[in-house]
This record gives sequence, C-alpha cells and structure tokens, in this order.
Amino acid sequence: MMKKDNISKDLFIKAKVKEDEKDKIVRPKLTALQDGWIRLKKNKAAICCLFILIIIILLSCFAPVFSKYKYYETDYLITFNSPSPDHWFGTDQFGRDLWARIWYGARISLIIGFAAAFLDLFVGVTYGSVSALIGGKTDTVMQRIIEVLIGIPHLIIVILLMMVLPAGIITIVVALAITGWVNMARLVRAQILKLKNQEFVLAARVLGTSNKEIIKKHLIPNTVGVIVINAMFTIPSAIFTEAFLSFIGIGLQEPAASLGVLINNGYQVLHNYPYLLIFPAVVIILIMVCFSILGDGLRDAFDPRMRK
Amino acid sequence: MKKSALSFILIFMLVFSLVACNSNTNTNTDNTKQDALNVYVSTEINTLIQWASSNDTSFTILNNAFEGLYRLDTNSQPQPALAKDYKVSEDGLTYTFYLKDNIKWSNGTEITANDFVYAWLKQMSKEATNGYSFIMNDYIVGGNEYFSEDISAEEVGVKAIDEKTFEVTLIQPTPYFQRLTVLPMFFPLNEEFVTSQGDNYGLSADAMIYSGPYVIKNYDIASGCNLAKNDKYWDTDNVAINDINVRVIKDCGAALNAYNAGQISKVTLQSTDVPAYKDSEEFHSGSNFRTDYIQFNTTNEKLSNVKIRQALSYAIDRNVLVDVILADGSGTGVGMIPYGMNGDGKKTFRELNGDINTFDAEKAKQLWAEGVEELGYTPELTILVSDENVVKTIATFVQSQFKANLDIDVKIDSKTLKARNEIMDGKVSGVTYDMAITAWGADYDDAMTYLDLWTNGTPYRGNYVSDEYNSLVAQAKQETDNQTRTELLLQAEKILCSEDMVAAPLYYRGFAYLQKPNIENLTVHSFGPPIEFKYANFK
Amino acid sequence: MFKYICKRLLYIVLTLFVILTATFFLMNKLPGTPFDDERFSMLPPEDQALVLEQYGLNEPVYIQYLKYVQNILKGKFGESYVYAGQDVSDVLTHRIGPSVLVGAQAVLLGLTVGLILGILAAWKHNTGIDYFTMIVAVLGVSVPNFVLAALLQYFIGLKWGILPVAFWESWSSSILPSIALSVSVIAMIARFIRTEMLDVLQQDYIITAKAKGLSKLKVLMNHAVRNSIIPVITILGPIIVNIFTGSLAVENIYSIPGIGSLFVDSIKMNDYSTIMAICICYSAFYILVILVTDVLYSLIDPRIRLISNRAE
Repeated sequence: MMKKDNISKDLFIKAKVKEDEKDKIVRPKLTALQDGWIRLKKNKAAICCLFILIIIILLSCFAPVFSKYKYYETDYLITFNSPSPDHWFGTDQFGRDLWARIWYGARISLIIGFAAAFLDLFVGVTYGSVSALIGGKTDTVMQRIIEVLIGIPHLIIVILLMMVLPAGIITIVVALAITGWVNMARLVRAQILKLKNQEFVLAARVLGTSNKEIIKKHLIPNTVGVIVINAMFTIPSAIFTEAFLSFIGIGLQEPAASLGVLINNGYQVLHNYPYLLIFPAVVIILIMVCFSILGDGLRDAFDPRMRK
Repeated sequence: MKKSALSFILIFMLVFSLVACNSNTNTNTDNTKQDALNVYVSTEINTLIQWASSNDTSFTILNNAFEGLYRLDTNSQPQPALAKDYKVSEDGLTYTFYLKDNIKWSNGTEITANDFVYAWLKQMSKEATNGYSFIMNDYIVGGNEYFSEDISAEEVGVKAIDEKTFEVTLIQPTPYFQRLTVLPMFFPLNEEFVTSQGDNYGLSADAMIYSGPYVIKNYDIASGCNLAKNDKYWDTDNVAINDINVRVIKDCGAALNAYNAGQISKVTLQSTDVPAYKDSEEFHSGSNFRTDYIQFNTTNEKLSNVKIRQALSYAIDRNVLVDVILADGSGTGVGMIPYGMNGDGKKTFRELNGDINTFDAEKAKQLWAEGVEELGYTPELTILVSDENVVKTIATFVQSQFKANLDIDVKIDSKTLKARNEIMDGKVSGVTYDMAITAWGADYDDAMTYLDLWTNGTPYRGNYVSDEYNSLVAQAKQETDNQTRTELLLQAEKILCSEDMVAAPLYYRGFAYLQKPNIENLTVHSFGPPIEFKYANFK
Repeated sequence: MFKYICKRLLYIVLTLFVILTATFFLMNKLPGTPFDDERFSMLPPEDQALVLEQYGLNEPVYIQYLKYVQNILKGKFGESYVYAGQDVSDVLTHRIGPSVLVGAQAVLLGLTVGLILGILAAWKHNTGIDYFTMIVAVLGVSVPNFVLAALLQYFIGLKWGILPVAFWESWSSSILPSIALSVSVIAMIARFIRTEMLDVLQQDYIITAKAKGLSKLKVLMNHAVRNSIIPVITILGPIIVNIFTGSLAVENIYSIPGIGSLFVDSIKMNDYSTIMAICICYSAFYILVILVTDVLYSLIDPRIRLISNRAE
C-alpha cells in the first residue's frame, strides 16, 4: 500500500487548451451510415457475401447481354444438351441456353425482390412515421388498422391477387407489397416513438430546432438502420415467395423466366436432366444465403445492441 | 425458475398431444396384398355420382365399378355386357336391347330394364350436372323437350317393354349408337336404392350399389379408392385380379418416382422423360382420339383475313412438335380427325382425306405477306392458353415457330382453364381472343363428334358461320348411306381446316407409359372410358 | 388479463370479418365461373342462365355477399361447386387431418433437433458443432422447401428405397414431407436458441452458479437452458403458421391430400365456397396461434406485459 502523501501535486501539469477548442469533438463526425459501414467492413463473412451479391447482380445485368444466345432463342436440334463449352449450363426442352436463362431469370427475381422491398419501404415507412409523428387519435386509429391487418395470412391474399390481376412482374410486386408493408410500418413506428422520447431530441427541441429539422437531422438518420436491415430481409423473402408462386404454377408467362419458373421446369425433369434443377437452385440458394448473412452483418453493424 | 418449469410442462404437453394424435393415424394398415394391382390417377376423384361426373378420373372408376349395355373389349370393340343382344328396326330408328338373365346389383337386386330407363331419364334431365345431357338428347326422341320440362317422362323415347327388354327411339339413324352405350352416362341406376340414399348417394362407398366387375370398398376424393372383385358380377369368373388400389398422385415426377420405387404398376410419362425410357421393355405408347388445335377467332379483325390464318397454320412444323417436343406417341396433326378413327368402315377417315395441314415455310411467308397487304397492317397477335404444363409447352413451341418462320412476335396469355373458357365463350365484356389453343376428345368413334362442333357459330368455335359447312354436316346427319355420309364429312373437314382455316390442328394427343412386365391386358382405350381393369391379369 | 383477452377476441372477430369481406370481393374478381367449361358453353344460353340461377350466381355481388354472411353466421359454408353434392365442411374435415399431421410432426421435429443443435452450439461455442449449426441455420432458411422435398423424395424415397415415395396410406408416408418442412424450423430454432444461450451464459447468475462449484452440465441444464428456452415461444407462432402455408408445394410433391393443395385447386377451379371456407379457417387458425403464443409468453415470463408486448 502506498501512502497518500507520496504523490505530490507537482507531478501534475495543467494541460493548455485554447479557449475555442474546448468544445471541439476530436473524433471525426460520422453519420449512422458511415459508422455502420466501418463496423461492417470488419465482418469478413458479410463483406464476402456482399461481394458475391454484387457479382450475381452484375452477371444478371450483363450476362444476358453478352451471351451468344438469347433467353428466348429456341433450337430444336439441341434440346436437353448437358453442360458443354458451348452451353455452359446446358440447354432446356426447347434448346434454350440455360446460362442465358438463369441470369435473365435472376435479373427478374432480383427486380421483383428489390421492387417489392422498395414498395414495402415506401408504404411502410410513410405509414409508420406518420402514425408515430402525429400520434394521438390518428395513431390509435392507424394502429387498430394494423392490428387487424396483421392477422391476415399473406400467402392467401397474394395467391388471390395473382389470379385476379393480369399476370406479370408488376402484379407479383404489387401483390407482395400489399401484404408486406405492415411489418415495416410497425418497426418504423416503434423506432420513431423510441427516438422521440430520447434526450438528444429533447435537447434539440429545447434549442428551438423546428420539427422539420428534427425529422431531417435526428429521426431519419437514426431510423435508417432499422429500415435497411428490414429491407435486407424483405428482398430475399420476396424472391422466395415469387419462386414459391411459380412453383405452384402461378407466376410469369413464357418465355420470360424467373428463378422460380426455372426451378419449376427443372423439377419436372429432375430424373433425367438434374442440371436443369440444380443450377437455378444453386443460384437462388446463393442469393438467399448472401442476403441472410449480409442482413445479419448489417444488423450487427448498425445496431450493436440488437445483435442476436 | 418456477415459470420456466411451467414452460417445460407446456412444451411437453404439446409434444405428448402431438404424439398422441400421430398414433391414431398410425393404425392405418397397409392393405396392399400380393394379388393387388396398384394404379394411380392424376386428378382427384371429384365425384362418383354418375350424372355429375364429367372427367376421365371419375369415368375410370365408374367404368370399372359399373357397367352398361356394352363394354369395350381389349381391342376397343363393343361387346355385350349387361345386354346379350340388340335389334335395330329397318329405318334405323328403333333400338331394342335384350338384357342378360343373371345380372344383379352388388346388393343382390336384379338389374332390370327399368334401371336403364331411370338412369337415362336422369341423364336427360336438368338434374344431370355433368354437362353431358346432349349425348342423349341429340339422339333420343323427346330428349331436348324433356330437358326443358316441356314433356313428361312417358313421352321420351326410352321404354322398358318388360323386365329384360329396353327400347330406345332415335331422332335420326345413328350408325354409332351401340358404341355410345359403353359410356358411363349410359349405365343403369337402381331407382329404389338411389332414392333411399337421397342426397348421400355416391358420396361414400356404402352409399352406392355396383353393377360392374368391381365394387368400391372405400372412397376418398383426395387420396383415391380401393376396389375389390364383385362376386355378384355376371362374368366374375373371368375377372382375374382381386383387389385394385387407385391412388391420387397429381405430380408427374412423384408418380414416376412411385413407379420406380415399385409402389404403382403403371405410370404415364411426361414427354421429357420419354427419351430416357424409350428403349425400356416396360415402355409403351398409344394415342387418344383427341386433337389439340389452334382455334382462330374468325370475327376478330386481325384474323378475319383467311390468308393470315392459313399462313399461321403453314408456319408450324408439326413434325418437330411431335418428334422432339412431345415424343410420347402423339400423332402429327394433319387434319382435325385423328388417325385410326373410323371412316367408311373399310378405311380410316385419315386415310381417306390425306394430310390437310402441312408445314410449308415458303407458302406461309407468301400468304402472310399477302394477308398483311390485304389487311393494311401487320397484326400483333396473342395466343390464349390454359395454364396446364403441356399446353404451355405447346404454346411456347408455336410461339417460337411463328418467330422463326414468319418473323412475328406472338404473345402468350396463359389463364386458368376456367378463365380461358370464359374469354373464349365471349362472356367477358370487351374482351375477345385472337386465337387459342384448345382440344377436343372424341366421345365416340366417328368424325361427327368433331365436325358437329363448328355448326353452332359460338365464340368458342371462333364465331364461325358458314352455310356451306353447316349444310354438309346437316346432310351427313340425315344420310343413311354410309358411303355418301363419309364423303360429306370428308368435304366438311377440308373446308374447316384448309379452305376456311377455322382451326389449325396441331397434334393428336398420345400417351407414353411404363408398365410392370408382370401385368398383361390392362387395356387403355383411345376414346370413351379410359381404362379397363376387367381383363387385366398377372403373368 | 381477462380484459386483455376479450379485447383480443374482439380484434379477431373484426379481422375475420375483414378477411371474409376482402376474400369474397377478390374472389368475385377471379376470372371465370365454376361452370366455365367446354361442355357447359355448348348448352343453349337459356339453360346456362338456369344453372347460374340455381346457384344464385346471377345476382349482384353485394346480394351474394349478404347471403353468404347470413349463411356463415348460421355456421354454413355451403356446397362445393367441384365436388358434386359434398358439403364444404365435409370436404375440409377430410383434408385437415393430413395437413395437421405433417405440419405438427414438422414443428415437433424441428423444435427437438433445433433445440439440441442450438444448445450444443452455444455450449461448445466456436467449435466444429457451432460452425455446423450456423451453416445449417443459414442453409435451412435459404433452401426452398420444395427443392428439398423433391430431392428427399428422389434420394431417400427412390434411390435408397427407405420410405414411401408418393402414396398417402400409412404413417410412414408422412415422414419425408415432415422432414422437408422441418428443416427451416430447425434452422430458425437452432439459431435463436444459440444466441439466447450465449447471452444467458454471460449473465451474472451463471457466473455465480459456476463460482458455487456446480458442474458444467448442471449449470447448463438448470440455469442456461431453462432461461433461453422461454423466448422460443415468441417465434413459435410465426413458425407454426409458416409451416402450414409452406406445405402447399410439398403437399403436391408427396400427394398429400391436404388443405394446401385443396386451396390452390379450388382457386383454379373457381370453387367459391371452398375458397371462402379455407380462407376463413386458415385465418382463424393463424390469429389464434398468434393469440395463444402471446398469452403463453406472458404467463411464463413475468417481465413481459401483454399490452406493451404488441406495441413494440
């Protein structure tokens, strides 16, 4: 044990700080997005998945363009060819090149996924934030509506909608979005309610910041994380649902294809031409795996407290 | 901690209740015996009520559990069944059927001529919800009037002369009438039993009595039914297989798996599986009297030009379709009437009329160019199809042929069968179709079953109205001389599929199947009742 | 509590009513009618009209709707358009059994395997079994169950000949579909339990227990597992519902005479009364499952208050 008086006051020298630097924040100012990105970069698996996803997206954009074959081009002399240097993934029942079809299909599936997620986001965020920001009676009514909607089984409504509306990508997107936004709305509302009561918002208000500024500067940036994470899970689930609908025969029209349509066609001939099922299945699984790991990574990065 | 104990208890309760409900179904014993034949059907057995049944699956069961005056043999020729003989009057209008003496329902009641009168009248009335009333009403005196309730049952041309004699009076001579009696709509029903069951008739196995080689032991719409030999059947000694299990397997891939795993003895192959099994000893194929064709809407502005329609027909290489895409024994659609269908009694209809619809890319291009010029613009066409897998495949093929040979992009619009029909029937206001892929399966072995269809000028038949065509068919109906009658029908087909190009035949539906080598004489017919278990036996 | 449940029940009735209405009007927009087939269109128009009249299909939609609501209040689902002479409730009762059997087995299997995997993974954190569990967890939610079902049927049913392929006859027919459906449950449960456990294992009371000298296994079983299992109930509801919807494609592959395939068929055939009945039953089931899990959870975990539970 050291004695207290062993330490003399002269050992301490008062630091000299300029008067105007006392308030300075040394750490570089980071937005929620930048902060999250820095943390995400440390997660190797997530970065790897992001990379694979980018490759898949690039392939789906450019592979159909640069391929020698068009996704709808039939050639009855080469039906059911196994993978070869000429047709990397082989050909289907109509002699169509599977490589071209898979990337075209992936493109459609991704478009459906992103569009559905975007619509979800748009409707959900608007609904959720309006409900949370206005509050009071409006909030109560809007919440009661959600309570009712949450009990509706999605798939049933999606299937019915698919049958009622004219077939096509837009229909699928609309059907998925109509049922999908409720979850997003609930999340956004909860997040905003939580933020509204926090000290920094109170502080901003005390300082006389306008409502508009509070929403712009504080609420939106802090909600982005929740929104991005949720969107990351909406995209694959939309792709999944589309594949499921195509599998049960309620999907796109020939010669257009999505991964679901290709899987369905492949399943029909699984016995003799398994590659027709395996290739599209591998692509869809890859997309799903990457989105799921990346989604986890993003959640960890944006909201470390939510890590689960 | 007590709360988590509660959670354990709850979870275990859940587990046990589930296990308990498992063990209930566990008692379902497997009743496949050594001498049982296992087959499958690809759709649910919607109903077994004779006057409500309209699909092949129901017909399959009905045909084996019930019987009519005649039954098709292994060569698809009608042989006396409940009837021992029949007589036709000189003018060909009165048929007298004589029933066998020793025929009984499965509950021991005698089968009499009255059972036929009751069943036929029911089929001719509005009570019949299967849409098959026309198959009697078009032929039998008073049928249509009875349907619209203008006359009483006594005035209709079906009579029980005595217990064993049944007399039918026809509107016009119908050379194929005896062949019609093999259809399930013509099977007898016991009035006393049917009325005693009331609304329950046909809903379960014990709410029916049977007249055919088999009785139904149990019946479930969605999973199938089990048949057992009917010991009251007059020919029961010649029925070889004791038990038949009919299962519902909707998925083609699953059915093939089940066959390969030995669970079923016969499986229909999809086209895509044919190449792999073509050389197998178990491989067989045949074809149905069923023509898939493109119906053009002749009143649609874009397709009102006959050259356009002809160009479209010439642009399709049907041989590729049949050999490469289908490859299942389907026949090239060279005319509306399928191969093998009766012509003048000596030759088949197809042999007499030759190939009407052929592939000719040059001619197609030329006709298309002329048609476009006459029309004044290049029409954008859509082809309406139902969402069944086979039909979608055909549509994709046809689409690619139009692209390759006429350089036009035709859209495919696939709808559910009901939705497609609604549009084709012109019931959706403001919506008409350009052309549609549809099919017709023969009800009986005569070209009339096809050619009669285009006489009514409905939207479904492309709004086709032609006095020339209609008079040819009408004359053929009146004609008693077989030779002249055939001539008229040959002429009608040429007008339909070539001169006026109302419908472009694509192919005659074939079926390729695998069958275990230990089974023989499991007969499949190309029209009417689909399959006969009666003659089947194990080697 | 009682008040809460009453309130929830009120919402259930309201939700069901919304579903009933939405489905009814959507369904009326379905192209076609149950009668649109080739034979029907060959009948003279006046006869066609007669048939439609018989089923009340010629009346304006709102009248049909009011009549339907009236029947539902009396507990009548009406007669099927496709299965001649069959009452829809009879058709449904025949079909519910197989769906429930397969679904329940899948949930049960998924729960058991998922729990074991999750616990092992957390216990042996950062070892082979942990990585294996994580791979299963990611793949399990990424492989569409119909792809899995098809592959299982092909390999286990056909190539190895262990289990029946596509015959709905005995209990053994339900094994493969149950496995196919259970994989996503295994994935979700294992992942959930693993994270919960890792969380719990860092809590002070675990350290205390260890400090008291309890054996590792005892600490795990008595403290860690018990506390991590409770929250599983929150995700059980959605999982159960997922399984029962997801079975739709799997039912087709394994020829299971269940509700899922009936639903798709009835839509394609425009079997109005069956569509309505399935939608109503299905929604009721869905809502009840959510309610039950909410109530169960609040009973088990005193920290959760029902009212705030739903809002966040």
